[in-house]
Amino acid sequence: MKSLYAKIAVLALLAVFPLFVGSDYYRHLVIIALMWVVIGASWNLLAGYTGQVSFGHAIFFGVGAYTAGLCTTQLGISAWWGMLLGGPAAMLVGILIGFICFRLRGAYFALATIAIAEILRLIAIVWRDFTEGMQGILIIQTFRSKVPYYYLALGIAVICMLLIYKIIKSKWGFYFIAIREDQDAAEALGISTFRYKSLSLMVSSFFTGLAGAFYMNYMGFIDPEVVFSLHFISIMAILVSIIGGAGTMWGPSVGAFIMVMLQELFRSSFFGYAPSWVSHAHAMAFGVLVILVIRFMANGVVGDWSKITNLWSKGKPAALVTNGN
Amino acid sequence: MEMFIQTLVAGILIGGVYALIGIGMTLIMGVMRIINLAHGQLMMVAMYITFVLYQFLNIDPYFALLVAPPALFLIGAAIQRYLLNPLIKIESIIPENQVLMTVGIGIVLTETIRFMFSSDYKSVKTSYSTATFNIGAISWNVPMVVAFILAVVLTASLFFFLLKTDVGKSVRATAQNKDAAMIMGINAEWITQLTYGLGAAMAAAGGTLLLPIYYLFPDVGGPFTLKAFIITILGGLGSAVGAIMGGLVLGVAESLGATYISMALKDAIGMVIFLLVLVFLPGGLKQLTKV
Amino acid sequence: MKRSFGCAFVLTLAVFLFIPNAALCQDTVKVGIILPATGEKAKFGEIEKKSFEMALEEINAAGGINGKKMEFLFEDDTGRPDVARAAAEKLITKDKVVMLGGGYGSSETFAISGVAQQNRVPFLVATGSDNKITEMKWEYVFRINPPVSEYPQALESFLSEVVKPKTAAILYENTNFGSSGSKSFQETCNKIGIKVLLTEGYQHGGVDFKPMLVKVKQANPDLIYMISYIMDASLIMNQSMELKLSPKVFIGGGAGFTMPEFIKNTAKAGENVLSATLWYQTLPYPGAAEYYDKFVKRYNMDTEYHGAEGYASAQVIGDALKRAKALTPDGVREALLATDVKTVFGPVKFVSYGKMTQQNKLPTYVVQWINGKLEMVWPKDVSTKPYVFPIDWEKTWK
Repeated sequence: MKSLYAKIAVLALLAVFPLFVGSDYYRHLVIIALMWVVIGASWNLLAGYTGQVSFGHAIFFGVGAYTAGLCTTQLGISAWWGMLLGGPAAMLVGILIGFICFRLRGAYFALATIAIAEILRLIAIVWRDFTEGMQGILIIQTFRSKVPYYYLALGIAVICMLLIYKIIKSKWGFYFIAIREDQDAAEALGISTFRYKSLSLMVSSFFTGLAGAFYMNYMGFIDPEVVFSLHFISIMAILVSIIGGAGTMWGPSVGAFIMVMLQELFRSSFFGYAPSWVSHAHAMAFGVLVILVIRFMANGVVGDWSKITNLWSKGKPAALVTNGN
Repeated sequence: MEMFIQTLVAGILIGGVYALIGIGMTLIMGVMRIINLAHGQLMMVAMYITFVLYQFLNIDPYFALLVAPPALFLIGAAIQRYLLNPLIKIESIIPENQVLMTVGIGIVLTETIRFMFSSDYKSVKTSYSTATFNIGAISWNVPMVVAFILAVVLTASLFFFLLKTDVGKSVRATAQNKDAAMIMGINAEWITQLTYGLGAAMAAAGGTLLLPIYYLFPDVGGPFTLKAFIITILGGLGSAVGAIMGGLVLGVAESLGATYISMALKDAIGMVIFLLVLVFLPGGLKQLTKV
Repeated sequence: MKRSFGCAFVLTLAVFLFIPNAALCQDTVKVGIILPATGEKAKFGEIEKKSFEMALEEINAAGGINGKKMEFLFEDDTGRPDVARAAAEKLITKDKVVMLGGGYGSSETFAISGVAQQNRVPFLVATGSDNKITEMKWEYVFRINPPVSEYPQALESFLSEVVKPKTAAILYENTNFGSSGSKSFQETCNKIGIKVLLTEGYQHGGVDFKPMLVKVKQANPDLIYMISYIMDASLIMNQSMELKLSPKVFIGGGAGFTMPEFIKNTAKAGENVLSATLWYQTLPYPGAAEYYDKFVKRYNMDTEYHGAEGYASAQVIGDALKRAKALTPDGVREALLATDVKTVFGPVKFVSYGKMTQQNKLPTYVVQWINGKLEMVWPKDVSTKPYVFPIDWEKTWK
């Protein structure tokens, strides 16, 4: 019951946030964080719950974004149609990828997803007549105000989290975890692993594609390097989940806020308080953070929350080391 | 015809360089079963070592071969010992923890170098950088021929090391079955450190040999990591001979593709081959050659 | 579980809301400058930033903006449009700048332009060269550099009067700049009757360009036009020499081919290579040579047209702020509209022509590497040395 109140409180806080904070700058940061909540949660469903670690979520993000963009440039209709079509398009690609890649396991699956993302990026660059290549797709945003985008992002995030929550608590969720824990045993128990891995991938790719379509509408500009980026989309999706806590319900959401906040703090040299070389260190900070989190809090902030609170109350760093090992 | 042969030559030569970088990866993946996403970054560090030696001490890149690979061997072994091995004991939900760790290591290496040398492009311009000799109408770049020959020599010595020496046999035993190897009295932890160190040293050799014809900047590693794992999958895990075959196949396919299909799709060609191999020939070329 | 999420969120808010502004000085005129300081584009961003800083010191030393000091707040766009957008929003809503400047990559510049237009804050583009940027009829966006389609302008007369090629090959890197540049050169070729035999894009950062160059050699064009950044440019020339390509001319489309590193990395392979450029320090613009000398002396590094764009932007900004009736975004916009000032980058005036609005119109130039030095060769009236043509490649590369 207590946790339900907490959820409602956070949701309420997010809902009234733009009413109290008028600055477009903060609104923008929260919108981006909410977008990463969706992507992180989607990645987490596939990797954290189903055990299929994807290094290529940029595939779905990019397909979603391009679907929205191409609606305008090729079909001459509003990019908002992309919000309807982007998710299904990404899902379709997801089904195809599952068909090819789900026969691969572990690291091989991860490598295959990187390869597909790279191929799509190159095709989007080369096929200039269709995608405009590196000149990118540009649309004029519908709203001047950030408020509609804010509530749209919040809405998508809430629906995504609710749906994933329902899935995890349903029979599907248990099948997913069974596959993660031991695929052969799951198969032996009569779970069609291919079917459930595909289902997980479908949901995951749908929401990532939706986030991509949202990005197109919100940012108004995409090019292949931005939306199919290995580093800034695929790996970022992983980092968001790992730092928040892969395989936990709320981990990726926490991770999304932490990552977006850290990125901005470092980029702006802590708003000019720190010397300017700090702004050059933001990538470094990410790297160190990843190493520390994996080394000492393998299950992320949420997964190892008890470790952190223990550390706080006892004030014994030794506890961390023994737990870590 | 001249166009075809020149393309083929370009592909074979670049394939030798790819192979050098790929051998290190195949060793690491073969023994530890992890994708080393910091591979290109390790190569980048070696390139900077070579660059510093050249710039400040005026040491020729080929002499740096005696410095950079051993240095990278130490760095690699330390990474394995202090960052990767401890992870085996940690319970976590995501099995690919070590892979993600290599992502973090890669970022830290890149950013450390960026801090020291800034993002500027650097190059080692030697008198022989653009030296060529001609056979008929076909031009051969001398540094690339040297790199190719050294790639073959290093592959051969690695092959014999794995096949004939006791340590090499221990490495192969660990790769085949770690638990059984430990029961037989092999110090598996030490073997993993040795393997990662060797892998890093091989990548370092590749980077050093690449320097006279290429250039360097902190982000230079990324694309080579991708090439290295394509070669690994193509050649088959842990196979030195497979790696050199994989390197050649990749180099030639890329060159032919670039000439006859499109330069812009050059990198995509490697990826497509990679996917095809993953799906249809999961063991790689090793499957066919049996070594 | 949920509690940690709440904590993270509250912490985020707290950090963002309760850290006050570091710079609270009220008697300065604040201008936001967005440039890449990290990432792949950082190299040129650095040259521009240093030029901005140099100009700022000079303007403030000469009395600032009617007695007030001008202040540049630099933000790093890291070479990514979403970051550029956040930076622009921070500058406008948090730092309350009167106008924006900078803008290096086309995508980032575009993102910033959108924000500037939405918030009705003027934005003076220094480098972002995509045509679209000033084709949107955005009344708050001004651009000092020519759009990418005009980069080969001077080449057009050079080619039709001097080289008279019949066939061409276009090689370009697959970026926004390269892709639009190749398209506009294709149009130039169509206009003056050059047949384009092949157009090849490539991913920048390649080791081996030989497969592409072999194909070019086979086609044997009179002219090879390349749009490449510095290191690709060097490798392409080196490998062209290795393969003994021999067109009438090699021409670079700006960017990499005018950098001092180019000749350092190519030596004889870069000799006699021509390039289109937007600026050269010997041009008869007031202060151009002084700017170049001062920059080189002070920072001990070379500068080129990007730096001049930065310096000139600062000059235009200073001029507009001085003339502005009110130091508000709209006041500054009015002043920018009436700009007519001579800068190191040439005379600046924002006019509308073709599809463009509020675009500065400047001529472009052709330079050539002669005896290891970059020399202005076209148009003739501003040239520092006569062009070398026809070129005997065998002799050059020996």
